[in-house]
Amino acid sequence: MSLPSIVFALVVLPAVLGGILSLLTRASLRNAIVVIGGVLVAVASVVSVVAFGGADGTFFGLPGNVTLGQSLLVVDVGLTALVVAFAVKHRRILAPILALAQLGIAVYLEVAGRLPEPDPQRLFWVDRLSMVMILVIGLIGPLICINAIGYMRAYHRSNPMIEGRRTVFFSLLFVFLAAMFGLVVSNYLPLMLVFWEITTICSFLLIGYTRTDETIGYAFRALNMNLLGGLGFGLAIVLLSNQPGGLDLALLTHSPAAGALLPAVALLAFAGITKSAQMPFSSWLIGAMYAPSPTSALLHSSTMVKAGVFLLLRLSPAMSGSTVGYLVAFVGLLTFLFVSLVAVTEQNTKKVLAYSTIGSLGLIVGCAGIGTPELAWVGVMIIIFHALAKSLLFLMVGTIENRLYTKNMENFDALLSLMPRVSALFLIGISGMFIAPFGIAIAKWTAIRAFLAVPGPAGAAMILIMAFGSSLTIFYWGKLLIKVLSARRQSDYERSIENRVSRYEWFTEGLLALGVLAATACVGLISDHVVGPYALAAFSATPRVFLAIDPAILLVMLSATLLLPLIGVISWLSPTYDQADFYASGRSANVGHVMGAALGGIKRVTLRNYYLDGVINGGLVFRAGTVACGAVLAAMVATSMVIR
Amino acid sequence: MSFFSRSPWILHYDGSSCNGCDIEVLACLTPLYDVERFGVINTGNPKHADILLVTGSVNERNIEIVRNLYRQMPDPKVVVAVGACACSGGIFARAYNVQGDIDKVIPVDVYVPGCAARPESIIDGVVQGIAALEAKQRMTA
Amino acid sequence: MNPAIYALGFVVFAPVLGGLLAGVDRIVSARMQGRVGPPLLQPFYDVGKLLQKRTRQINPIAEPLLIAHLGYMAATGALLLGGTDLIFTVFVFALAALLLVLAAGSANSPFSFAGAERELVVLLASEPFFILMMVAICKVTGASTFEGVLASSQLVAVQLPGVLLAFLLVATIKLRKSPFDISISHHPHQELVSGLTSDMSGRLLAYVELAHWYESALLCAFMVLLFNWSVPVGVLAFAVAYALEVLVDNATSRIKWQLVLRSTWAATLLLCGGNLLALFVMGR
Repeated sequence: MSLPSIVFALVVLPAVLGGILSLLTRASLRNAIVVIGGVLVAVASVVSVVAFGGADGTFFGLPGNVTLGQSLLVVDVGLTALVVAFAVKHRRILAPILALAQLGIAVYLEVAGRLPEPDPQRLFWVDRLSMVMILVIGLIGPLICINAIGYMRAYHRSNPMIEGRRTVFFSLLFVFLAAMFGLVVSNYLPLMLVFWEITTICSFLLIGYTRTDETIGYAFRALNMNLLGGLGFGLAIVLLSNQPGGLDLALLTHSPAAGALLPAVALLAFAGITKSAQMPFSSWLIGAMYAPSPTSALLHSSTMVKAGVFLLLRLSPAMSGSTVGYLVAFVGLLTFLFVSLVAVTEQNTKKVLAYSTIGSLGLIVGCAGIGTPELAWVGVMIIIFHALAKSLLFLMVGTIENRLYTKNMENFDALLSLMPRVSALFLIGISGMFIAPFGIAIAKWTAIRAFLAVPGPAGAAMILIMAFGSSLTIFYWGKLLIKVLSARRQSDYERSIENRVSRYEWFTEGLLALGVLAATACVGLISDHVVGPYALAAFSATPRVFLAIDPAILLVMLSATLLLPLIGVISWLSPTYDQADFYASGRSANVGHVMGAALGGIKRVTLRNYYLDGVINGGLVFRAGTVACGAVLAAMVATSMVIR
Repeated sequence: MSFFSRSPWILHYDGSSCNGCDIEVLACLTPLYDVERFGVINTGNPKHADILLVTGSVNERNIEIVRNLYRQMPDPKVVVAVGACACSGGIFARAYNVQGDIDKVIPVDVYVPGCAARPESIIDGVVQGIAALEAKQRMTA
Repeated sequence: MNPAIYALGFVVFAPVLGGLLAGVDRIVSARMQGRVGPPLLQPFYDVGKLLQKRTRQINPIAEPLLIAHLGYMAATGALLLGGTDLIFTVFVFALAALLLVLAAGSANSPFSFAGAERELVVLLASEPFFILMMVAICKVTGASTFEGVLASSQLVAVQLPGVLLAFLLVATIKLRKSPFDISISHHPHQELVSGLTSDMSGRLLAYVELAHWYESALLCAFMVLLFNWSVPVGVLAFAVAYALEVLVDNATSRIKWQLVLRSTWAATLLLCGGNLLALFVMGR
C-alpha cells in the first residue's frame, strides 16, 4: 500500500467508526465495534510505518488530486456553530466570541482572496516525527479506547447519579483519533488548524461528559483557552498568507525564521503553548482531570497535549537561536519548575499526574525553544516515553479509583498488598516515568548536557531550573511509591477486590506496561533509527547523544527499569507478609493496622505524607507561575514583532 | 567467629522503677565508665538490640510492653534484670500495682542485684549476658 | 590503567575505607566527649554481628530494595571511577538514595514512615546541589569523566569556591551529621527512634551500614573532583572536611526539617547557583 492511501485511511477510518458508533446504542455491538475498530486502527498505524520505510520526508496531496476548495471553510462554520450552540445552552460569552473571531478570520481570508492556492502535492507531510506521533496515537489510542469499555462500566456502576452517554463518549474518542492523525500529517497550515480545532471541540465535549456544573465550568475553561490558542494560530495564518510559501509548514520551519516570518512563528508557538497547557494556561488541564480517566489518558497526556509540543518541535528549527526561541524555552522550563513545586503539595493522584504531564511537556517546550539537534532528540524521546508511561499511569489510577473509590493518594496505602497485580503494573508506569535512568530521566540528563552549551546567564538559569525541578519530581514520585510499596495484612474481602478488574482493563494495561518495558529496552534502537535521523534531518547535524557509547550505562538503566516491577511481581507471588510487629514503643500493633493506646484504648495507625505545607504554598506558587510565564509569553510575542 | 562479644547492643527498658537503677545504667555510658569501649551501644529500638536491660518491676500497664519488646527483638537475645525490683520485686514487691519481677513475663538470663545496682555490677552483668549470648548463638547457629 | 580496574577497586575497597572512616569518627567523637571510645575496627564488628542476627521482616520487599540500594550505591562509585559521565552518576546516586527511602517506607509503620518522609525532604534538599556541582565541574574543566577532570589544568576548587562551600554543607547532610540528621543518625538514637531503620533488623541494617560506607567513599571521590590537583590532595582535603564535620556534629543540635530544606536550598541557590551564573556570564 502506498503511504498516502494508508495515511488517508488513518484519518478517515476512525472518523467513520466514530460516526457509526454515534448511532449504536446496544452496548454489546458498540463494544465489539470499539474493539474491532481499535485493532484496525492499530494495524493501520503499523502498516503505515512499513509504507513509510524510513524516508526523510514525504509530501503528498489528497487522493485523486482533489483540491481543498471551500471545504475547510465549511468545516470551520460547522465547528463554530457547534461552539455557539453549546455556549448559548450554557450561557457562556467568551467561547462564542473567540470562535466567531476565528471564523471571522477564515471568512475574511476567503472573501478577500488572501489565501493563495496551496500546492496540491504538499498538503500533507510525513517524516519521522509524524511517524512517531502516528504510532503513539495509533497504538496507545486504541488501547485506551478498549480499556474505556471496562472502565466506563465500572465508573457508571459506582456513579449511578451520572447519566450514561457512552454512545457519544466512544464516538468522540474515535473522531478525536481521526483529528489527531490529520493534525500530525498536515503540512498546509489552515488544514492543520481545522484538525486542531476538532481536537479542541472533542476535548471540550469529553471533559463535560458528566454534565455536572463543575465539569461544565472546566470544559468551558479548556474550550476558551484552546480557542484562544486557535485564534493565535489563525492570526499567524493571516500574517503568513502574504509570504510566498508561508502556509507550507515544512518550508516555514526549514531554517531560522527571519524578519516578517518571526511574528507568525511566535503566534504559532503561542497556539502550541495553550494546547500543551503550559503556564499561564495550565489551569484547563488541571480542571480536565475531572473527566473520566480514559479521557485523561488519551487526550490530556498522550495525544492532544502532545499536539501542542508537536507543533513546537516542528517550529524548533525556525526558532533556533533567536530571542523568541529562548523566551519560548523559558515559558516551558519555568512551567516545569512551578508545576513541580505545586505537585509536591497535591494529594489528588490524578492532579499529581496532570502536574507531572505539564512539567514534562514544559521540558519538551524548553527543548523546542532552543533548537539544537540534541534537544530535538530529547524532545522526541520525552514524547515517546511520556506518552507510554503516563497513559499507563492514568489508566491504572482509573482502575484503582473504580475499585477503591478514591483518588487521594493517602488512601492508596499498602496498595501492594491490597492489589498486587495492579500495583505491579502501576510500578512499571512510575518506573518508566522516572526511576529508570531511562526514558524521561535520560532525557533530563541529555537536556542538562545540552543546556551547558547555551551561552550566557540563560544557560545557567536553565540548568538551575532543571536541577531544582528534577529534585522536586523525585519528591512527589517518591511519596507515591512509598504509599504503593507499603504493606499490611489484608482481609479476604480486601484481597478479592482485585478480581473485579475487567478483562479489558487487564489486557490493555498489561500491553501498555509491556510497551513501556519494550521501549526502555530498545532505547538505543529508537535513538539510532528513529529519533537520531529525525534530528539530523531537521537540523542538518547529528545529535551527540551518549547512549550507545557506554555499555555500563545501558546495564544500569535496564536493571533500574526492571527493579521495581520485579519486586512487585515477587511480592505478588508471595503475598504473605511476616507477622512481625512494627515498633510502636512496645505497644501491640497488629491486624487492621491498629495499636494499643493509653489507658487500654485502641488507635488506628494512619500515616500521612509530607506535603510541605509550611514551606510551599501551592495556590500561591501556581498563581506566581501563571503571572511569571504570562509575562515571558507576552515578552515573546512582543519581541517577535519588534525584532526584524 | 562470633561478633556478639565485640558488638553487644543494648535496649534499656525501665519498668516501674524508681529510676535509681536507670541513672546507674546511664552512668555506664558516661566518660567515667564508658561502655562504648566494649562496643556497647544503647539503642532505643528492640529490633536493633541484643541485650534487653530491664530495671524496675512489672505492673498492669507494662506487662504487655515488656512482652512486646522481648518479642520484637530478633534472635539471639538475652535479658539482664538490673536491680532488686527487676530481680524480685524489691521493696515494692507487695505494692498493689506491682505484679512481680521481670521473669514473671519473659525469661531472664542474668540477674544483677543491688538497690541501686552499681555501674560495675551492671557492666559485669552485661558481660555475663554477652557470654550467654554467645552460647545461644553457638546453640542455634 | 583500565578504568574497569578502578571501578572494581572501588567496589572492593570503598567499604573498607568507609568502615575505617566510621571507626575514626567514633573514636574522635568519643575523645571530644572525654571518653575513650570503641576500637578502630568496631564498625566492622558491628556489621559482622548484624549479619549473624536473625532478621525480623515486616515487609519482605524491604530486603530486595535494600540490596538494590547497596548495589546502586556501589555502582555509583564504580561508574564514577570507571569513566562514566559525571551527571549520569548523579542520577544513579539519587536512585540509590531513593531506594533506601522506599525500603524504610515499605514497613508502613509510624517511625520508619516518618524517617522515610524526612529522608525524602533530605533528598529534595541535597539533590539540586549535586546536579549543579557536576554541571559546574564539567563547565570549568570541559571534561565529563572522573579521569578528565583530574587531568584538566583547571583547578576546580579555586574557580568554584561557592560550590566548595555548598559541598561542605550538603556533605553534612549526606554523612548524617548534626544539625541535619533529621531522618536517621548514628548513635545515639534520636527522636524518631531510629528513623529510617526503625523496622530493620539483622541483615537489613548491615546493608544500610555498608551502603553508608560506600556513600562516604563516594563523597570522598566528589571531594577529589573538587580538589583535582591530584588524588592524594583530594583525599587529604576530604579528611580535613570530615574532621570539621565531626566537630560540627558534636557541637550542634538537630534543626527542624523545614529549616533544613530552606537553608540548603538557599545555600545551593546562592552559592552554587551564583558560582554557576558567574561561570556562564564569564563565558567559559
